[in-house]
Amino acid sequence: MKLQEMSFFALASQRMEWLGARQKVIAENVANADTPGFKAQDVASFREVLDNAAPSGGMTVTSSKHIAGADPVGGSVRVKDDEEAWAASIDGNTVVLEQQSIKANEISESYSLAANMYRKGYELLTLAVTGIR
Amino acid sequence: MDPLKSISQIAASGMLAQSARLQVVAENVANAETTGTSPGDDPYQRKTISFEQYLDPETGLTMVRVGEVGRDDTPFTLRYEPSHPAADEDGVVKVSNVSPILEMANMREASRSYEANMNLYEAGRRMRSQMIDLLK
Repeated sequence: MKLQEMSFFALASQRMEWLGARQKVIAENVANADTPGFKAQDVASFREVLDNAAPSGGMTVTSSKHIAGADPVGGSVRVKDDEEAWAASIDGNTVVLEQQSIKANEISESYSLAANMYRKGYELLTLAVTGIR
Repeated sequence: MDPLKSISQIAASGMLAQSARLQVVAENVANAETTGTSPGDDPYQRKTISFEQYLDPETGLTMVRVGEVGRDDTPFTLRYEPSHPAADEDGVVKVSNVSPILEMANMREASRSYEANMNLYEAGRRMRSQMIDLLK
């Protein structure tokens, strides 16, 4: 039995992977908060990851002789321009620090939630196996 | 590269850029009163700094770095002070084009952006430690 194959753990770890990739994108935004012309980025929704509709950054392998391209950072999470940026400054930069801080906090909270879910699932298994809480 | 690990690198590049900006601000403020030494000499010319995004070829991360440190072309302030060593024949001294208010605003903004980067670094660190806690 592999933990990864149980949908519950797969879901939690996918969620954590997505949140990690998203936090990375937010970090890039904040680092470039004062770069002229920089457009704020965000990642495609978690639903898209689940549907696996997102084209991954690597190349598609259609023959056994092909070499799979290396996965970019964050695997299959697609990065796009943030359409919901609150404002743009005169130099064309669309990063709003407040918005990014809120997002970063949201991500941290969700990450904590996903990590706790994972732990709970594990505890549940332990309980089932040993009967000791 | 693991996204959680790369957050610290990105945030560090942001902090480095903001501290370079703070350094320029400090140079400007320190030289706000710097004039020339001989008659008609130009005083200190305010420095400006700009950032540019930078795609790290090794990791594929979008980082930030200092683009260009230039000079501000705003005209110098003129002050009538005939006894000054840098005064020309009309008794006018050129004083640097540094505006303390502008520098103060710049300084505040740089330190706030620095903090924002620091917070993200902290958030990334917390997320990583939560993940490591799952191993316990």
